[in-house]
Amino acid sequence: MPASIRQGVLDRPLSRAMTATVTMGLVIALAALFGVAPAAADERPGPAPLATGDASARPWKRYDGWPDRDASAFNSLANPHASPPAPTAPRRLDGPVTGDAGNGAKLVADRTRGGSCLACHVMGQAGNADLPGNVGPDLSEIGNAGLSDEQFWNYINDARVYNPSTIMPPWGAHGLFNDKEIGDIVAFLKTLKVPAKFATDVDDPAKRPAPVEKRDNLDPTTNPAMWAVDDAAALYKKRDASSGFACATCHGDPAARFSTWAAAMPRFEPRLGHVLGVEEFVFRHAKATTGANWPMESDENIAMGVYLRNLANGQPIKVDITSPDAKAAYERGRLLADTKVGELNFSCRDCHDPARGGLKWIRGQWLGEPKGQLDHFPTWRTSLNQIWDIRRRFQWCSVAIRGNELPPDAPEYGDLELYLAAVNAGRTLSVPGIRH
Amino acid sequence: MTTRRDIILGAGSAALVLTAGAAGATPQEAAAAIQAFIGGKPAAKGNISIDLPEIAENGNTVPLAITVDSPMTADDHVTEVLVVAEANPLPRLAIFHLGPMAGRAEVATRIRLAATENVTVVAKTSKGAVIMAQKPVKVTIGGCGG
Amino acid sequence: MVEKPRIKLPPEAKKGEVIEIKTLIAHDMETGLRKDKDGKPIPRKIINKFTCDFNGKPVFSADLEPGIAANPYLAFTVRVEESGTFRFAWFDDDGTVTTADGAIKVT
Repeated sequence: MPASIRQGVLDRPLSRAMTATVTMGLVIALAALFGVAPAAADERPGPAPLATGDASARPWKRYDGWPDRDASAFNSLANPHASPPAPTAPRRLDGPVTGDAGNGAKLVADRTRGGSCLACHVMGQAGNADLPGNVGPDLSEIGNAGLSDEQFWNYINDARVYNPSTIMPPWGAHGLFNDKEIGDIVAFLKTLKVPAKFATDVDDPAKRPAPVEKRDNLDPTTNPAMWAVDDAAALYKKRDASSGFACATCHGDPAARFSTWAAAMPRFEPRLGHVLGVEEFVFRHAKATTGANWPMESDENIAMGVYLRNLANGQPIKVDITSPDAKAAYERGRLLADTKVGELNFSCRDCHDPARGGLKWIRGQWLGEPKGQLDHFPTWRTSLNQIWDIRRRFQWCSVAIRGNELPPDAPEYGDLELYLAAVNAGRTLSVPGIRH
Repeated sequence: MTTRRDIILGAGSAALVLTAGAAGATPQEAAAAIQAFIGGKPAAKGNISIDLPEIAENGNTVPLAITVDSPMTADDHVTEVLVVAEANPLPRLAIFHLGPMAGRAEVATRIRLAATENVTVVAKTSKGAVIMAQKPVKVTIGGCGG
Repeated sequence: MVEKPRIKLPPEAKKGEVIEIKTLIAHDMETGLRKDKDGKPIPRKIINKFTCDFNGKPVFSADLEPGIAANPYLAFTVRVEESGTFRFAWFDDDGTVTTADGAIKVT
């Protein structure tokens, strides 16, 4: 009987489970010994065995190629109180702001400091009016708006002194621009008195058509991620070298067995005390049964995550949020979606709620709304030639806004994924997706 | 920043604008790739349809479809199609070889674009004609920066 | 996990019909312009040529450069006059050739 089934495994009340496990183990071992294939669908009744411990690398190390900035001094989803507190009042200035408007014009277009102001604002001809965004108001005529130098200055330094629920990053208070640079930006803003002239309609965020995803994501010649479906189908049948078991040993025909399973994930797992998504489930369950070692974000794990959802394509997402634990997790997820993260101090909602930044342009990229954000995950990413699961997507969001990501199996991500799945209830799975 | 230079390609040809790109290629390199392909023949603006997105979602994978208007008979067919991205560090992207068995002069692929730039398509026919067309593509600037 | 090339080819067609063929092969198409973490250039390694023959006769081919996107996709048309077999071949810089076949019944 494989050792992995005995150690560090969560299962039903031990005594009965042990007996059943021994029996099953013997049956399968004997069958293998005598070259007899075990009967298909030899699943035992009861909760799935799950390996305990971490489901991804510890200490968590950020992916190669991602910015290596450490943002521990700012909020993360695991530590929402790390950032310095907002100033309680606007800073009083000694006199008028003197700054270099020419340098200000460069700074507002500087993408190395968090996307640049143009990510959210049209600003006249700054940056050649090249695909500016429209999450924030058009500032092309802000020089005529009658704002005082002090108001300009404080708005950029930390707009929370005027509007506690602002989306504006605290550019000065969080150290992205220093006092002199803020002065330069103010000097530049004061010169903005004329509407922007765009080279083409496509440059104007007010006229740019919202992108519509039309690709056939399940066409293998369109979507390289479809190879993962084939890879996983083979992994499903592959016997582990030590245990001799494959997923198929117990689960039989995958198309029949998993035709709806993934649509009900993620789910709260009482034995672990946190929400379990497909990828984490795959790691824990494989390790506790066949012995296969497929940690989260490994190629095998990603492929299995694609496959298990692909088998349930067309099924509506339907996750439990009624049991007390699931309800609490959903509530935590809802609050996490409102938690400010990183140097740029954004919450999920700041970018994705249509009442804030959702359904608007951030530079040349469209910010989607939560409905429709989950049904195509995992997705092929054409910009990177990689498959991303929803946990990697969560991780990148934090890093992109200059915060620290959490390990993919962080319980916070489980809560957030459950919340997102509940918001997406009824939307049908179409996996793997294909996106930018 | 882009600067514009008009470059005349062969006597009697239509002038196509080649813009200097941010990614290291010069209009001269792109023009040289075209010259090497057409070998001094004059190029005319022709009936080539270039299907490219107005804004590419990213420069890593940009879908491109080309249709050259041609009867594709044994007597009169497209023989070769060149694709050049003028601001790419290596402007020549591909040369497609066709013949009468193609049925239609249609090719599709996915290309890399280093920056907002023009994509130029040049086709040669069995009758010795050289035709050319060009389309600008804006490459999306991402939202969150580096 | 070696990904097999994908071919989309109609199994049947009428004589004289112009069919569409779509192909996809898994390949990084390393341009030779990138540098690794230590600043060392990563050597170029791409699919530099694709050929399609029908019943032994060349029908379509492509000379590819680093500017073709990773996982090269090539779609083209062929007028079929008889039944037969398409042979597709992808040529890597390192000399390896990957091939795939597809049959078509033409009536």
